Amino acid sequence: MFGGASNLAADVDKAFIFIFGVSFILIIGITAFMIWTVVKFNRKKGIPAQQFTHNNTAEIIWTVIPTIIVLVMFWYGWKGFKTMRTVPDDAMEVTVISYMWSWDFDYGDGKISKELVLPINKPVKLNLVSQDVNHSFFIPAFRVKEDVVPGYDNWLWFEATEKGTFDIFCAEYCGLLHSGMLATARVVEDAEYTQWLASVESVKDKPSPEGEAIAKANSCLGCHSLDGSKLVGPSFKGLYGSKKIVIEDGKEVEIEVDDTYLKTSITDPNAQVVKGFNKGLMQSYSGVISDEDIDKIVDYLRTVN
Amino acid sequence: MSDHEEHVIDRESGTMGMWLFLFTELFLFGGLFLVYAVFRYMHPAEFHEAGLELDTFVGTLNTVVLLISSMTVAMSITAVQKKNNALALGLLAITTILALVFMVNKYFEWTHKFHLVIYPGSPVLENMERGELLFYGLYFIMTGLHALHVIIGLIVLFFAGYGIMKGTVTSERTLLLENAGLYWHLVDLIWIFLFPLMYLIT
Amino acid sequence: MTQSEKYTHVSYREHQGKYKGIMAWLTTTDHKRIGLMYLFGIAVFFCVAAVLGLLMRIEKIAPGETIMDAATYNGIFTLHGVIMIFIVVIPGIAAVFGNFCLPIMIGAKDVMFPKLNLLSWYIYVIGAILGVLSQFMGDGPPDTGWTFYVPYSAEANSNVVIALTAAFVLGFSSILTGLNFIVTIHRMRAPGMTFFKMPLFPWSLYATAWIQVLATPIVGITLLMVIAERTLHIGFFDPALGGDPLLYQHLFWIYSHPAVYVMILPAMGVVSEIFPTFSQKPVFGYTAIAISSLAIAVVGYFVWGHHMYTSGISYYSRWFFSFLTFIVAVPSAIKVFNWISTMYGGSIELRTPLLYAISFIFLFLIGGFTGLTLGALATNVHVHDTTFVVAHFHYIIFGGMGFAFFAAMHYWFPKMYGRMYNEKVANLAWGFLFVGFNVLYFPLFIIGLQGMPRRYFDYLPKFQTGHVISTIGAFILITGLIIMIANLIRGVRKGAYASANPWKGVTLEWQIESPPTLLNFDKVPEIKHPPYLFKKETEA
Ligand code: HEA
Ligand code: HEA
Ligand code: HEC
Ligand code: CUA
Ligand SMILES: [Cu+2]
Repeated sequence: MFGGASNLAADVDKAFIFIFGVSFILIIGITAFMIWTVVKFNRKKGIPAQQFTHNNTAEIIWTVIPTIIVLVMFWYGWKGFKTMRTVPDDAMEVTVISYMWSWDFDYGDGKISKELVLPINKPVKLNLVSQDVNHSFFIPAFRVKEDVVPGYDNWLWFEATEKGTFDIFCAEYCGLLHSGMLATARVVEDAEYTQWLASVESVKDKPSPEGEAIAKANSCLGCHSLDGSKLVGPSFKGLYGSKKIVIEDGKEVEIEVDDTYLKTSITDPNAQVVKGFNKGLMQSYSGVISDEDIDKIVDYLRTVN
Repeated sequence: MSDHEEHVIDRESGTMGMWLFLFTELFLFGGLFLVYAVFRYMHPAEFHEAGLELDTFVGTLNTVVLLISSMTVAMSITAVQKKNNALALGLLAITTILALVFMVNKYFEWTHKFHLVIYPGSPVLENMERGELLFYGLYFIMTGLHALHVIIGLIVLFFAGYGIMKGTVTSERTLLLENAGLYWHLVDLIWIFLFPLMYLIT
Repeated sequence: MTQSEKYTHVSYREHQGKYKGIMAWLTTTDHKRIGLMYLFGIAVFFCVAAVLGLLMRIEKIAPGETIMDAATYNGIFTLHGVIMIFIVVIPGIAAVFGNFCLPIMIGAKDVMFPKLNLLSWYIYVIGAILGVLSQFMGDGPPDTGWTFYVPYSAEANSNVVIALTAAFVLGFSSILTGLNFIVTIHRMRAPGMTFFKMPLFPWSLYATAWIQVLATPIVGITLLMVIAERTLHIGFFDPALGGDPLLYQHLFWIYSHPAVYVMILPAMGVVSEIFPTFSQKPVFGYTAIAISSLAIAVVGYFVWGHHMYTSGISYYSRWFFSFLTFIVAVPSAIKVFNWISTMYGGSIELRTPLLYAISFIFLFLIGGFTGLTLGALATNVHVHDTTFVVAHFHYIIFGGMGFAFFAAMHYWFPKMYGRMYNEKVANLAWGFLFVGFNVLYFPLFIIGLQGMPRRYFDYLPKFQTGHVISTIGAFILITGLIIMIANLIRGVRKGAYASANPWKGVTLEWQIESPPTLLNFDKVPEIKHPPYLFKKETEA
């Protein structure tokens, strides 16, 4: 009813239609009954109220029938759900790495993509990994959703049955840019998929500076872009050596970005807050990242231009 | 009751209210016991390991101390009912002393842990196995919360004793003292559960 | 309208005790005054949180930033949720109308522990103030949502500890009220009033009180653990400290699911009073309604997992929780059918309270049936954490409990103040509220089904139509609310005097003066009949 594009959609929609159908009938019926009684038994008609107090047959009827109805609803819900938890053996696996506030799709062999590209009509199992807090992987068009919980091996599977591009949302609140944690899933023909996969550069091939890996692992790049755009925090691009106005103890001070400044920005971010950004968003990483690693990040930041 | 004519809380209602309150306290600790059960189920060996670290002797001593104090409270209620206020006060004093002994033991036990650099967030603890870390977390919060209850219990007992002296607690009106006693038994009871779970775990 | 002379007795509002003026209220142990004090507290906080709701709606009139940034939005929905749940609806009907009516309806002079009752109010106020302060103190507004999910709540750099403490303190107040009611109901019923001669509102309060006493401590300790986690770095739930994040969700919902029945049961009690009175007919299936309250209270304890279907709990737990979720719908069904049968064959007068009660059923049905959609496994996966859920609980909390609160407000208004509101204006306000309500929340079902997640500051353009309609609804709704509140305030000050029994009710509160005297009853009533016996009056 709302454009299902996976093998799971039909059963889910059947459950929706059944529950909504029954609900609709009962809501209309009961409401109509209430309106009818108000008109029919209105006091203006001057008919004294009857004084009956109960009727056991009626009680039994309206206990048993709803029980049956809800059990059928339960059954529909369960039926659609059972498929969701039974993965075919030949499903291909992709690891979804989530962190504040972005998704990475790891196809193995160091091939990491920002977009989820999938072959049509092939079962896929997504393994959900969180690097920080809870997230939830949600593709409305496929009727799939599963939380990404740190420390848990959650997963979901489906088989895309329609070509096209579909929205991916994060459905579990995860902080400031929860609503910006979006991605897309692109479903393509098998051949196109193979071609695409081959074209994804493996991070193994290009030895990325260690500092970058550390920065990624600590999800710095969720808040700091590398291309000059403003996210939660200032961009890393061209940061080193630039002049900045920072607020220190309520006063504006002009500084030049050097090693010490970078280091204190990481260990004590709230001491000097860049003008135009909010205090308290970035937490101190002292104790979280070791001093050597912080040095490596600083080395790396020097190279981002 | 400032506005109304005398509104007396009869004994049965007072006791019933107290029992309901004790239920909520049990559920409060119940939540912690639940967490304990889950974590222990997940990390049985490490819990065992960490439990061995605790000083069983101090634990046992404290158990005995609390059990005796529970008894002296009960005896003081009987004493009041028999109109022997002096004895009742004496027994309450003994209870207080026993409670203080308990707290002093606890103090040494905790400071000893601190010497070993075992406290929440300490470097030694951070490097331990996950299960041991969880065990110590629970150890500190559960015994800490219990110790807090000991202190609250002491305050309540103090008011009951004050009532005996002022004459508001008499052989006919023992409700305050009885409820204080009930609370003290609760403190005792919780320790009875804590003790084997923390100190005797095998 | 029942016009009559000003009453001549000294009512509880005029009674002079040791203190005068405002101090007389702040030191009172009279259950009726305490009830009114809760009413003021709740009304003020409701307005605060409602304005926050409106701000969210205005923000969402267009994608992107319109009137506030993301951090503010996140803080606002958290505060909105915390106030509405912990400060407004959980105390809600039980604290206001429970305090006011419970002793009267069971023929008592007061609750069993009047001083404790006053203490609960103070604890409530402290908790409420803390909750609001958390927004303005220290490191910025807490932004975790009212559910405080770990690890985010253990790591976020905002004022979470104060918000947690506020919720903890409020829980304490709720426990004490519950405890007080249980003992009162057990020990203070008038001679002859057996449990099954007790009216249904006290019955619902009884079931509610048990949930409060038995479930609140669990959330209390859970919140304490999060506090310990944040301040002392003791690991319970945060995986970074060795803990287990799902354990938190279990503990949180073990309380918070039963808590939704704390909200709705008293509301059900209210409409169980209103239908008989305005139909002049005994309530249909008294026993069934009373027992189903208890059934809801009991089964409600075992369905918490339906908030966690997608969190990674085992297949069998999901199955089990879904099954029980459906079972808990049956007692609600029983109640609905009994209420509508109460009207059948009656002599119905469509006054404002009944209007609200009927719309309560309508909105509760929509909320309840969408609850079933959420309870079914396959459908929940799709709509979990979307605006569909937001619409579900606004329908059932605001449409259900909120409209029942308004119903109770209009029903017992003459009893509380001895005056009447203007009924035409009251019905007009109802019209705005009812229309505005549906325009506000119904679109959220639709965009939820299309995949609009909740707690989203920003959204994709394709969802805009729904959001715009919804925002328009919010403005219609406010209009209604403002008319209603103004009308009630005018009623308190200038309304026509009401008689002791303007609706021809038969429960005990209608047998005494309006407003009641300090001691409620001149002499302790003796109960010989079951409640809701209208016969004598209609025959006479
Ligand atoms: C007053 C509060 C209240 C009440 C009474 C309910 C009642 C119900 N709720 Fe709701 N719920 C909330 C408040 C409430 N809820 C809140 C606040 C949340 C969100 C929390 C958050 O995440 O922030 C929530 C979320 C929520 C979820 C989780 C959604 C998610 O996040 O994925 C679920 C899932 O099962 C659910 C189900 C139900 C069900 C089955 C009922 C049932 O009790 C409803 C029963 C009623 C009826 C069914 C209608 C009347 C019946 C008839 C007329 C008879 C005929 C019936 C049949 C034939 C079946 N609710
Ligand atoms: C009793 C419960 C209750 C009530 C009554 C309301 C009432 C409203 N809520 Fe509610 N809401 C919750 C409980 C409630 N809410 C909860 C628990 C959440 C979840 C939070 C979370 O995710 O953690 C939530 C979340 C929530 C969201 C979702 C946020 C998100 O997920 O992004 C939205 C968005 O539209 C919203 C809007 C509203 C609106 C517009 C109202 C309106 O109905 C309000 C109507 C009233 C007015 C608009 C103002 C009236 C004003 C006066 C009477 C006084 C006049 C004063 C002046 C003029 C100054 N609420
Ligand atoms: C929650 C979002 C967030 C995360 C995660 C984050 N930061 Fe920041 N960062 C900010 C904000 C906001 C500022 C600007 C305010 C300030 O200076 O404190 C900032 C400022 C900085 C600055 C100073 C920049 C300048 O323009 O002067 C540096 C350097 C920095 N961060 C490095 C890091 C590193 C390294 C990491 C990861 C280990 C990291 N940040 C993670 C939000 C974040
Ligand atoms: Cu990630 Cu929300
Ligand atoms: Cu629930």
